[in-house]
Amino acid sequence: MIWLRQLLLGRLVRLAWLLPLAAVGLFTLISLAPIDPVQAYVGDRTSLIGPEQRQAIAATWGLDRPAPARFATWLGGVLHGDLGRSLTFDAPVAEVIARRFPTSLALIGSAFAVSFILGTGLGIAAAAARGGIADRTIRTAAVVLTASPGFWIAILLIALFAVGLGWLPACCAAPPGLTAEETGWLDSLRHLVLPVATLSVVGTAPLILHTRQRLVAFLDGPAALHLRAHGLSWWRIAFGAGLRHAVGPALTLHLAGAGELFGGSVLAETVFAWPGLGQATVQAATGADASLLMGIGLATLLFVFCGNLLADIAAHLADPRLRQASA
Amino acid sequence: MRRFFKSTLLAAALLALLGAVTAQARPLVLAVGGEPETGFDPITGWGSYGNPLFQSTLLRRNAELALKGDLATEWSLSEDRTLWTITLRDDARFSDGTPVTPEDVAFTFNTARDAGGLVDLTGFEAARVTGPHQVELELSEPRISFTNELATLGIVPADAYGPNYARKPIGSGPFRMVEWREGEHLIVEPNPYWHGGDVPFERVTFIFGSEEAALSLARTGEADLVAVPSSQADAPPNGMEALHVETVDNRGLMFPMVPDTGKTTESGVPIGNDVTADRAIRVAVNQALDREALVALALNGHGRPATGPADGLPWGNPEGAIPGNDPQAARATLKAAGWQDTDNDGTREKDGRDATFSIVYPAGDSTRQALALGAAQQLRGIGIAARPTGRSWEEIRTMMHSQVVVLGWGAHDPSEISHIYHGDFAGMGYFNPGFYDNATVNAHLEAAERAPSLEASLPEWQAAAWDGETGFSAKGDAAWAWMVNLEHSYWVSECLDTGKRQIHPHGHGFPITHDLPDWRWTCGE
Repeated sequence: MIWLRQLLLGRLVRLAWLLPLAAVGLFTLISLAPIDPVQAYVGDRTSLIGPEQRQAIAATWGLDRPAPARFATWLGGVLHGDLGRSLTFDAPVAEVIARRFPTSLALIGSAFAVSFILGTGLGIAAAAARGGIADRTIRTAAVVLTASPGFWIAILLIALFAVGLGWLPACCAAPPGLTAEETGWLDSLRHLVLPVATLSVVGTAPLILHTRQRLVAFLDGPAALHLRAHGLSWWRIAFGAGLRHAVGPALTLHLAGAGELFGGSVLAETVFAWPGLGQATVQAATGADASLLMGIGLATLLFVFCGNLLADIAAHLADPRLRQASA
Repeated sequence: MRRFFKSTLLAAALLALLGAVTAQARPLVLAVGGEPETGFDPITGWGSYGNPLFQSTLLRRNAELALKGDLATEWSLSEDRTLWTITLRDDARFSDGTPVTPEDVAFTFNTARDAGGLVDLTGFEAARVTGPHQVELELSEPRISFTNELATLGIVPADAYGPNYARKPIGSGPFRMVEWREGEHLIVEPNPYWHGGDVPFERVTFIFGSEEAALSLARTGEADLVAVPSSQADAPPNGMEALHVETVDNRGLMFPMVPDTGKTTESGVPIGNDVTADRAIRVAVNQALDREALVALALNGHGRPATGPADGLPWGNPEGAIPGNDPQAARATLKAAGWQDTDNDGTREKDGRDATFSIVYPAGDSTRQALALGAAQQLRGIGIAARPTGRSWEEIRTMMHSQVVVLGWGAHDPSEISHIYHGDFAGMGYFNPGFYDNATVNAHLEAAERAPSLEASLPEWQAAAWDGETGFSAKGDAAWAWMVNLEHSYWVSECLDTGKRQIHPHGHGFPITHDLPDWRWTCGE
């Protein structure tokens, strides 16, 4: 287990310089953005809010002070465990994130699982049938999916399943008009289908191609040929020994791509009016809501960091050579 | 489970008894936007457009925009016009059953004054309780447009007000909150303590989220009223009809009024434009614009030509407008002022200066883009070369004191006219960006604010536009060329009667809810 301790220590050191760097970078970007937070806050009441009231709003939110002073205040708060107050939602940032994170996690978690199972399974199937019609179909589909923008897939899914066939809802995380108590889990599940399908596409295609590539190499290797000589079918070999061979690296790749799921969730949440962190990110950005953007930014950073760490641990567990190298 | 069973039985019995009535109380589903991300706290700005739902106000504007009492039964202004004395009704209760007291009113106004939110109480000094049902509101100077605050600031309970109020509002309005899922929907039910009578809906759901989602809800019959873009308005789905509401949501060309002397604002933004500082140019633009064509081009026909900033409102004055679509007259005006096309390039010039300026519009706004392009096209015919220019709002703020900008206003508040035209507001953000300053107009606007009542102030607001001699309208200084008033389009269920409607303010969607408690279902089940 020595490798694990070394890995964790190294990663903690990395996090220690990554977090402050990200915070400063994010804050600089937000300060330089050509959006006036007061104007964004006033919105369509421009005609009713006079100059004195604008100054009062700026003073209330501390927007009348220079950027370094604002950053110092924010940093002081964070060190005391206070992430500040969101201008967009007029609520503590920690509260906004806590309220919305589970909603996003349901989406991201489901998409992560679905794309992993689909990607790995299809990749292995393609490898088993390499050169055949199934292989070509799967590969073509993967390439098409890789090249398709997520929003376009979302619109396609909505047009087909929501508007055309009327099978699935096109918006929201639950049926509109029913309270939380009145909403059954089946309803929630139906609302999850299209956003998860959209988001899964992001991770599935590279996984198919990667798994297929890896497995073709294995199937052409001596071990697989040996099994074949014993009379096993390619399918049995692929989904038996091959699966064990491919699943570790596939999981590593997939965990490393967790950050992309976050990016994709911003889009999926916007299209499907899914009230999670992605939606809040868009609103915070358009309103120059520095505290909330910083909060979400750092939370995302931690999330992706953990994803990558898990990917590394998975890789070490799957491949003994890595463990020896670091020991 | 037992409770569920009992309530089902009870409901069944009620149904049998009141078959017709319960059919009337079926839930209502609206998708008209208007979600306040910051919650439902009037003190930070909730409820200035449309129905505040959870709270009630001292006064209310009826469909003709006249002021009527809501929580207030009497209201009077002192001789020196700086002290409002307001008598409250004694039967109003908050949704938790506690009575509405003058302490609550004083608390609301005093807290809002200091909150630094979206309620501008500039010029309001303090509120004091002066009797069991009476409260005094003191102003630092006469300001009749303070009546707008009386009609829009929802009263909150002093005892139950705190950091969680915005997400769990308690008020004396027609509804109380059932559930708010942020970004998704708001469910409300009638407030049994409301002093305004019965609301014929057992539940009202407001659906937020994207416009596309709202449209698909309408198509699947899940929504009873949906705000729709005018481009799609005329194809309502089965069981719904299109509704086009007249508004004062206007768009006009704002002219820089002073010559370019190299002056800048404190932040270094240039001020002035030598072409538009010439009144002849501004009058000619007003004469040349074919506003009917602009309505057809930019609004799919869903709008009306605009004559000023407050068309159809009690303080509006169409007298100062000039009939448009008259290029002949426009050419004569320019010629008389010395603008001639001597080099035959299609653009007039005077003193070696071409009659040219940018018409700036926010790049993301397709309506304003169409208006800018249409206006530029029409002006080409009279020898003015206007260049439509799309920019971000941030860039527009650095151009709006020296270039023509497509701006829009339209609130139910006469102080807006001061904000656009009074010299004191010159260059203050989006107020009066053109630095317009006419002593007579300023005097009319100040006289209007000193009036003893809103009714008495109306002639002065109107005189600021045109008093027979001068004014800000096209007959006078032609400080703007107003183009169009939008119409706001909705799809409404054929079974829903939305009653009499106000002329809607700026902002499409939520304002339609203003008289929501008066709506009725018209179909039996």
